[in-house]
Amino acid sequence: MDTIIQTYQLRKTFKKEEVIKPLDFSLRKGEICALIGKNGAGKSTIFKMLSGQLIPTAGDIQLFGKSGKELAQAKKRMGFMIETPEFFPDFTATQNLEYFRIQRGIAEKERIYEVLQIVDLANEKKKRFKEYSMGMKQRLGIALCLLSSPDCLVLDEPINGLDAEGIMEIRQLLLKLNQEKQTTILVSSHILTELQLLATRFVFIKNGVIVDDLSKEALDEKSKKQICLKVNDTAKAARLLEQAYGDIQYKILPDQIITIQNHVEEGGEINRLFNDNDVLVMEFRIEALKLEEYFLGLVEGELK
Amino acid sequence: MINYMKSEHYRLLRKKGLYITSVICLLLIAAAAVVLYYSQHLDPNFPYATSMFFYSNVISGTLLIMIVGLLFNSALTGKDMSLIKQFVSFGVSRHTIFWSKLILTLSYFLLQCVIGLLLTIALGENLFASEEQSVSNFLIASSNMIPIVLSGFFMIHTLKMLKVSEVYIIIIFLFIYVFSDDLLYILFDNTLFDYNPSTLLNENLMSFMNNSAQFDYRHWVTGILVSVISLLIGVKGFAKQNID
Repeated sequence: MDTIIQTYQLRKTFKKEEVIKPLDFSLRKGEICALIGKNGAGKSTIFKMLSGQLIPTAGDIQLFGKSGKELAQAKKRMGFMIETPEFFPDFTATQNLEYFRIQRGIAEKERIYEVLQIVDLANEKKKRFKEYSMGMKQRLGIALCLLSSPDCLVLDEPINGLDAEGIMEIRQLLLKLNQEKQTTILVSSHILTELQLLATRFVFIKNGVIVDDLSKEALDEKSKKQICLKVNDTAKAARLLEQAYGDIQYKILPDQIITIQNHVEEGGEINRLFNDNDVLVMEFRIEALKLEEYFLGLVEGELK
Repeated sequence: MINYMKSEHYRLLRKKGLYITSVICLLLIAAAAVVLYYSQHLDPNFPYATSMFFYSNVISGTLLIMIVGLLFNSALTGKDMSLIKQFVSFGVSRHTIFWSKLILTLSYFLLQCVIGLLLTIALGENLFASEEQSVSNFLIASSNMIPIVLSGFFMIHTLKMLKVSEVYIIIIFLFIYVFSDDLLYILFDNTLFDYNPSTLLNENLMSFMNNSAQFDYRHWVTGILVSVISLLIGVKGFAKQNID
């Protein structure tokens, strides 16, 4: 499988603080890779180093197998949208894209109208950028990425500010590009449920270090079920669980909720245990661990 | 580089500020001429309605010319600088960005200077009593100003690309091009003082007013030296700069 992005021992420090610790990461052709981490984990720093906005303190970046001075050429096959896209505020969408079309040496002027249609901005093309809503600005940023029909997209928070319909449209667009044109995508978002619907690979980052790297299948495997109970006395319930099951893994959550990560198949027995010991079970359900919960468990060190 | 310059040119042509600055500059030249012309009509003894005095406003106005240079340079190095992150992402090198913005803004600035110079001469020769050799004196004094003005423009470009605020740029300019002669005179020997931009500009004005303007190589030595240092700092600094 072709490697699109490869980093070797990539590091970045800001005033002695090591924001990205030596990072080896690769993205293969056709993948949709979600980079997941809390604010300040280093996601945007990685994106900015890939795009060239930030100069790495050490290490090397290869794009399409090219590095050093050849990177500029390789970047022509990529589309970057890092944080909020910037455009000329007094220019219309068409003028802004025309500016970048000239800059990127794209011969076909019609491509502007094609990408505006793809991101559903064709009817707003005469509006000035400064009059755009946040969601429209994001769409124009994606249109810019698509202008040169890139082989790889690097999108930092692309659905920021979009409404539910817009989020769904962008997801469908990215999936379509991936499936029909084999476009490789590296994406980050704080809306993890969206990433779960989109990505084929999940890379978790914490304090500038990759702490986990899972395929969708592996995540599904790890997304084990758990018991979720609402009881009248969580402390007593916890005591009973510890007495009955020595290896029990549970978490006490607000609103008298207790979740149990193992012994899921013994839900009936646990329910009976509480009933027999006067712990009132007001709610009982078995649920699958979501990406959000897996992520929180991973970055907060709560999951074993 | 050509594609990048074409795109920046597309942007520059749609900058209203550039047209407004150009028109205001030319109007100010015309207004100065009109004021002198009518002052002469109101008071026959008015001593300043001469082409020499009119031209001397240009020779003494280096700082003003540089402020115009700052405005022209800002057309591509002002608020638009936030878009640089996108240019870099699309594979435009920092060197290309630095030189393209410089070449384009400098071209328009020089064009404006030439138009301004021609307008000044046209007004000076047609509205005022012309003195002998005033135009040739004016052109010689102007040519002496060219390297100093260019060095100022390069310095502006470097400072703007390195994200130095306009207030600091003006302070640096006042220091180098206006007040540095006094300071150097106190601190150093005569050689340095003789090559100081501020000293050279003052001497140029004096020799013009005395009708004795002549080509002075020291302007070029100083201009080239300041230009090279400015551009080296700019290119090296911008190449290492994080764009956030």
